[in-house]
Amino acid sequence: MTAPSTPEAPWPVRTVARKVADWIGRLGEVWVEGQVAQLSRRGGAATVFLTLRDPAADLSVPVTCHRDVAERPGLELTEGARVIVRARPDYYVARGSFSLRATEIRAVGLGELLARIERIRRLLAAEGLFDTVRKRPLPFAPAVVGLITGRDSAAERDVLVTARRRWPAVRFDMHNCAVQGPQAATNVIEGLRRLDADPAVEVIVVARGGGSVEDLLPFSDEGLVRAIASCRTPVVTAVGHETDTTLVDHVADVRAATPTDAAHRIVPEIGEQRELVAGLRARARHLVTARVDQQERWLESVRTRPSLASPERLLHGRADDVLGLRTRARRMLVHRIEGAERDLEHARARVAALSPAATLERGYAVVQRHDGSLVRDPAGVADGERLRIRVAGGRLAVRVDRAGAPDTAPGPHEEDSP
Amino acid sequence: MSTTDEPTTTYEQAREELADVVRQLEAGGLTLEESLRLWERGEELARLCQHWLDRARERLAAAAPDDAAES
Repeated sequence: MTAPSTPEAPWPVRTVARKVADWIGRLGEVWVEGQVAQLSRRGGAATVFLTLRDPAADLSVPVTCHRDVAERPGLELTEGARVIVRARPDYYVARGSFSLRATEIRAVGLGELLARIERIRRLLAAEGLFDTVRKRPLPFAPAVVGLITGRDSAAERDVLVTARRRWPAVRFDMHNCAVQGPQAATNVIEGLRRLDADPAVEVIVVARGGGSVEDLLPFSDEGLVRAIASCRTPVVTAVGHETDTTLVDHVADVRAATPTDAAHRIVPEIGEQRELVAGLRARARHLVTARVDQQERWLESVRTRPSLASPERLLHGRADDVLGLRTRARRMLVHRIEGAERDLEHARARVAALSPAATLERGYAVVQRHDGSLVRDPAGVADGERLRIRVAGGRLAVRVDRAGAPDTAPGPHEEDSP
Repeated sequence: MSTTDEPTTTYEQAREELADVVRQLEAGGLTLEESLRLWERGEELARLCQHWLDRARERLAAAAPDDAAES
């Protein structure tokens, strides 16, 4: 920064001029509305000078611009015309003069233009040309794409480069033509006819870069809109900036915001599709594998069930039963035998007790007749009868001799009992 | 496997019958002969199920090689 200016060290004119230019430049680009007061086109000069007046405040400002800006087609620039100007403040240091440098001038007459477009829009809308039901879906991956655009325009490059990167297999059928000025509409219609007639073309893209309302005017041309409506092939429009809307956008099957966006709409992204397919395949495999795993776990659980895993358990069960029964049976048997033995013992004891042997032991004798019957009364035997006597030691055969002994036998109690 | 070619019983049929065999064995009340016969049937069905699951694994593996190459 230069030192402050003082009477002793004044700044030269050039420094002052430069500083003024800096300050003025800070305003930046502005849109100005005003009326053309004076307009001077000096013959072939490249620069046009005009004065812009503020009708409300009776102030004016000089405006300079390139000849093309002033003589743009469709812009009838006359004195008194109301215009809006896009400009940047400019300080011409050589002569110290200030002016606005215009880069775009729009005729306020623009209003009628927009009004005319609106009328057409309403007319076509009433005919149902813009109904969504007419919109046709785009083909998933078209082999041939018709492209209507300005020759070597940025729009053309955007569509071609982006589409080919996404889907290398895509091919284009080009129709380059004017995309601005009076011929534009008819050229585009011609392109549409040719591409629509070609069955190979599966989708048609109409692409154009940004521009002023006048530049985009052809794309609101009623003829062009009807031509698009009558197309058999789906049409994608990418006209102007995202903010601009032209009638073709309403009638198109798909309205893309920009040429690049149009490329995204008409062809899939190959990498994406490959990933999608791979993903689906992996998921399918996972589902089937999971099912097999699950069934295998089930089979394992069934196999480990005791009834299958250890059948011998069944036999154990049976064997145990048998064993149990046998021991019980044996116990029963032993028990009974012992019982029988005890009975036998008793019986024997009783027999022993009842049997005459013991009595004989005590000296008694048993007298039997030869028929075995017992002699209890001497009267019951005849003299000389043969009898049998059993004594403890054995038997004796005897004969009865009545002569020797008295008949009256003493009762058993009086005799001395053994 | 008794038959050399593919068994006719499908996996689901074998599985259903195997589940039924186990149910019967666990319910009990069978003669020795019956439980032995059922047990043998169970073993055969289990082998059959395993056969089908192994075949499924083989077919999955068969499809796998290019996967391995690709991923």
